[in-house]
Amino acid sequence: MSAAETLDLGVTRGGDARFLQCATLSKTFDTRTGIVEALRKIELDVPLGEFVCFLGASGCGKSTLLSIIGGLETPSAGQVLLNGKAIVKPSPDLSFVFQDHGLFPWMTVEQNCAFSLKASGMGRAARLAKAREYLALVGLQGFGTRFPHELSGGMKQRVGIARALTTDPKLLLMDEPFGALDAQTRANLQQELLRIWSGRQATVLFVTHSIDEALILADRIVVFHPRPGRIRADVRVALPRPRDIHAPEFGAMARELEALLQTPT
Amino acid sequence: MRASRALGLVPILVLLLAWQWAASAGLYAAVLLPPPLAVAQVFLDEPAQLAYHMMASLTRVAIGVGWAFVIAVPLGLLIGRYHWLDMLTDWSIQMFRSFPPISLIPLALLFFGIGDKPAVVLIFISAFWPLIINTIFGVRSVERTLLRVAKSSRAGEWLIFTDIMLPASLPAIFTGLRLAIGAGWLTVVTAEMIAVRSGLGYMILNAQMTFRSDLIIAGILVIGVVGLAADQGVRALRGYLCRWQEGLTASPE
Repeated sequence: MSAAETLDLGVTRGGDARFLQCATLSKTFDTRTGIVEALRKIELDVPLGEFVCFLGASGCGKSTLLSIIGGLETPSAGQVLLNGKAIVKPSPDLSFVFQDHGLFPWMTVEQNCAFSLKASGMGRAARLAKAREYLALVGLQGFGTRFPHELSGGMKQRVGIARALTTDPKLLLMDEPFGALDAQTRANLQQELLRIWSGRQATVLFVTHSIDEALILADRIVVFHPRPGRIRADVRVALPRPRDIHAPEFGAMARELEALLQTPT
Repeated sequence: MRASRALGLVPILVLLLAWQWAASAGLYAAVLLPPPLAVAQVFLDEPAQLAYHMMASLTRVAIGVGWAFVIAVPLGLLIGRYHWLDMLTDWSIQMFRSFPPISLIPLALLFFGIGDKPAVVLIFISAFWPLIINTIFGVRSVERTLLRVAKSSRAGEWLIFTDIMLPASLPAIFTGLRLAIGAGWLTVVTAEMIAVRSGLGYMILNAQMTFRSDLIIAGILVIGVVGLAADQGVRALRGYLCRWQEGLTASPE
């Protein structure tokens, strides 16, 4: 499937509907003030290639769900299946992009980008070559020998995205990656992300609390409610890409989502 | 405007002038307080003796601090990473580090006799605590997100130590090293006054018995200058190895 087609359709692409499954997933935390129910009986199926946004206010468990899917945390009940296999630890098929970019300040941009490959045992020359290739993909050729503190916030997050892509993941988990960026940089990176995603066969789970961001990016928006964290609605976004935030359809969906976020269950 | 490094010379010059004034005013007999020039003369007349004792002290500090470094840093990385090791060792570390090295000299002499061994062991002990405590602190300060990155990248424990724990702790380890060299340098002089027949501590004590105040002061000056030089060296090394920190930490006005 070509990139142009994807952009035009902006709807579910073909693929195995059972790529990712969350089955009666629950998570509780023991805290000083008592037991907190972070997630209650989450049921979610995501096919390969879909761009899904988790939308909700802080504390609704959407980041926790992402961590569980990524194998960084274990559920209290239920399980996550990736291609039918239960995830109990981070899988080589998935990568994370973190909100505060998660770059190692003592490594150069290149070394940061190559870290996942190094962890997988790839040799030095090969992994640096691949890192440079992905840095070019995100528009950072020539910045490989800089240290992270020499980059702007947007550039740092580009490195974070490049690093996540180096292992050619089937599942990309993004935890409010653009949350700390200014509006213009954010808009640019959103378009970059769509461009990169449309060129590959990968599922993206993208956590955000911005309705606009979810509507610009997603094929499908899963709306969360807090206390306990649970799925309130599962909305398909059938608007063509690139999406115009000033279009009346966009505004209508934004209002619908806002209502979903606010109404009590 | 950024103050010049040369500003650091001002207190030293003031002290030198006060010393010169005290000597020429005859506050003390010249045999007790020789003027600065008389002390300078020691450096011209007896450079071989000063150099010999300085090297003896330096060698002991290098060996003692070196051993402390190679043992305390890996141990500190492990304690910082594994909670059960911290629980196991925390009280012991806090208790043992409170022992003044001088109070251990009698025991060290009983165990190791007279010679280099008790001196090096005491330096090792006094350098060990600042190194291990700062290394543990360094590991603790690793950002949680970075460990999540490592985990999601499926990095093995060895890679986590070499590529994350160690570099992340490096600024703290260097702080520990500076304190360790300072503590070792203090201890060597004390230990040399008791246990051995070479080194600046021995030279100073010996000079006291022969009423050589000039030699005592010359020895003290060497101790101070070497201490300053060692500290500057470690700072320079830190500045290079931790250059990734530039712009991340506050610098004084």
